[in-house]
Amino acid sequence: MDMTTDPNASLELLDSEISAIQAEIKNLRNRHRLLSSSLLSSSYVRDCIQSHPSIETDGDVSPLVVSAGKHRESNYHRIAFSATTFPFKDPSPHADAPHLLGVRIDVCSWDGKFEKPYYVLLHRENTEDRRLRVHRHTIPAFISIERLEQKYLPSPLPELDGEHEASKPWKNRKQDLPALVRHLRRELAAWHLRRAAIEWLRQRLGFFDEGEEDQESLTSRAVTHVARQTGIVSLVPVTLEARYARLEWGDGRVGRFKISNSGLVERAVVIGDHGRDMHTEAAMVSGDRRIETILERLSQNDLSASRDLTSAPGTKSEPIPPRESGSKDLT
Amino acid sequence: MSRQRAVRAPTTASLPNNLRIPSTSPSLAKTFGKLSRKAAIDLAVQWLENDSLPSVCPLLVRDQSETAPDQDTSPYPLAHTVEEVREVYEELRDRRGGKREVIDRILEGDWRHGITLLQLAMIDVRYIEDHPAGQKWTALRLVSDGETGRESHATASLPRLHVSTFLQNLQREVSPLVKAHYFASRLKSLPLTVVRIFVTDSPYQYPRHSADTFTDISRIIYLAFPDSCPFIYTSISSSTATKLTHALTTDTRTLRRIVRDAIPRALSRPHERFTLQATSLTVKSLRTLLSLRGPGRTNHSNGAFSIFAEGVVEGSPLDPRLSTTVSPEEYRINGDAETADPEEKEDQGLKADAESPKRHNIHSERSSFDPRESKRRRLMVCSRFGISGTPVSSASLDRLDVRLLDPPIESEDGTGSTNDQHTLSLTFSGSDVIFGLRKMTELGIVNADFMPSWMTGEEGVSFTTVRQKKRTENTSSSS
Repeated sequence: MDMTTDPNASLELLDSEISAIQAEIKNLRNRHRLLSSSLLSSSYVRDCIQSHPSIETDGDVSPLVVSAGKHRESNYHRIAFSATTFPFKDPSPHADAPHLLGVRIDVCSWDGKFEKPYYVLLHRENTEDRRLRVHRHTIPAFISIERLEQKYLPSPLPELDGEHEASKPWKNRKQDLPALVRHLRRELAAWHLRRAAIEWLRQRLGFFDEGEEDQESLTSRAVTHVARQTGIVSLVPVTLEARYARLEWGDGRVGRFKISNSGLVERAVVIGDHGRDMHTEAAMVSGDRRIETILERLSQNDLSASRDLTSAPGTKSEPIPPRESGSKDLT
Repeated sequence: MSRQRAVRAPTTASLPNNLRIPSTSPSLAKTFGKLSRKAAIDLAVQWLENDSLPSVCPLLVRDQSETAPDQDTSPYPLAHTVEEVREVYEELRDRRGGKREVIDRILEGDWRHGITLLQLAMIDVRYIEDHPAGQKWTALRLVSDGETGRESHATASLPRLHVSTFLQNLQREVSPLVKAHYFASRLKSLPLTVVRIFVTDSPYQYPRHSADTFTDISRIIYLAFPDSCPFIYTSISSSTATKLTHALTTDTRTLRRIVRDAIPRALSRPHERFTLQATSLTVKSLRTLLSLRGPGRTNHSNGAFSIFAEGVVEGSPLDPRLSTTVSPEEYRINGDAETADPEEKEDQGLKADAESPKRHNIHSERSSFDPRESKRRRLMVCSRFGISGTPVSSASLDRLDVRLLDPPIESEDGTGSTNDQHTLSLTFSGSDVIFGLRKMTELGIVNADFMPSWMTGEEGVSFTTVRQKKRTENTSSSS
């Protein structure tokens, strides 16, 4: 038995060793690449290279330095302007317009990381006025690029009849790509801000996603204080779009509020065991209506409400009645 | 049981959740048989939860006295409380064994008084959850009716799905013609809400159908609603609309068509009407649907453009590395994917690992005679396909139907006027068609330089008509 298992075991050991070493090599290679490109794009090193006597006389710089410089410049533009353009060639041999104009939108999320860039690729029509059309894009489906295109890149309708032409204003409208990109960027940034705002509120309430449990105990204690004051047990965005957020209180009330693109609480509905809770609804859309301060407004509201309603029937501990799961409410 | 009811009157109500099908019917055993052991136990435990409904409750000793006292025939003694039954299933869960014993226990023991429609629906939805590629789905787009000229909010086009309201509306639309049972559930593994509709033409709330009718697949319609996007997925194939002549018959096909026609009306609201539009995509995998007609960024950038969708063309602007020196996989791992769940990514990563040595082998075989040509071809394949057809892409077409309206040989242009007569239908099928085409291109069987773009999966469709090497947009689904 030993004779057969021993070589196998040693082989396995060797295999795992080899794979560990390979992973280590890969890591080091990556690190080397990162460091070398960081060095090549740092101003100090670049200045040193540029002022080196051999380069000042010959005038030719290593292509590595040149490409790093170009990359650095494009990164600066992406960070500073957030919407940048680039050319792209459609590799399809049958494309009408293989030369595409790419628009890249970079959105920085609240933790300082950049999201994956969003792209819109446009082509020019083969007509005499060379109008722009959206060819491909990576915009999420809930931001309707078709509508934005209709609005900002209008194209004349194919059926032209003389008498209606003058009366229809969009036939003469100019295409406005910068406006399209502005609007699109605003929608994308607003989406990320909405998500960030909800995530920030969740953190303040002490709700962490899985994997983030190992927060410092000090912050979590401070956080639960807010949660205790407001009595909120759940706060989640409704669907991916994060236009609405759903709230749940410990006493069985559920609520939902709508977040506007500028970060205001637009509308709020709270329903408890005894119907609508107008008091809380009013508190949510009162004051400066900012989503960031909604917890303060709610905790103040709860304080005043508990002062007013000390004699109200105590239904707070009743659980929510189970719902008919055949028609489950999935909000 | 329902059959003993004395008075039966036609109603417009939906079929009740607690309509019981006798446990002895063989079709039920078949329905249960498609579940795994774990799924069967999970479902039983779910039925035994505290907040469960009377329609999924097991038979207990106290119920037995009311109904027929045929206790002797069953090998499973009845329990006194729900808690006792749950312990039995928890114990089964911990133990190893076949699924047969669980199913027998359910059908002959604790639910010997019959399986309700609600339970049947839960079984079917659980099956979909466990087998996201076990059912053919067609993607349909919801289009706002008559608002083209009006300027509206950029995000206003989505109907907000509230399932119970939707089902109420649907019931109101179809109730004069179709009697149906509805069940809605949110899938745990995918961001989808699945609605299961069972249709029948009986006007009675407790119809006298045989048990086989209730498990008849042709009477079951699935709808799946993805989050935040103007698409719905349905198990009804869109070709049902062709048979309009037999509108008065009540076969299952007509019933399905009635329900299908009612869906957009049920989603509409006053001043906001929707119609359904075909999107030429029918696939078996829900993941593919979510990737090609879903809420994420991959709807309109496939094939050569998939490098943009997956964000593998360049990194964040804070990354000092040149994009040409970083492998696409690295960008994928570093990039924060907002739609893909980490589990899925991990799976694909594993698959990629498993796949790569095989591919290297093939390369080494082929490249032995011309390494430069092979390298050029590989670069061309990457440029044409992007990352579609690789294991990292989550879209996989199981079938691609193409109708070519061009003459097969272009040099014979003498009969140019009869171009429309040339029709060539191609059908590719397999587990992943685009992967196969990519492989063929890598091997040089298909020339990447002249390959039309529909072969790279760029259009994201499973059915297309091609004229002059390009997809003709008979449906205005792509922008």
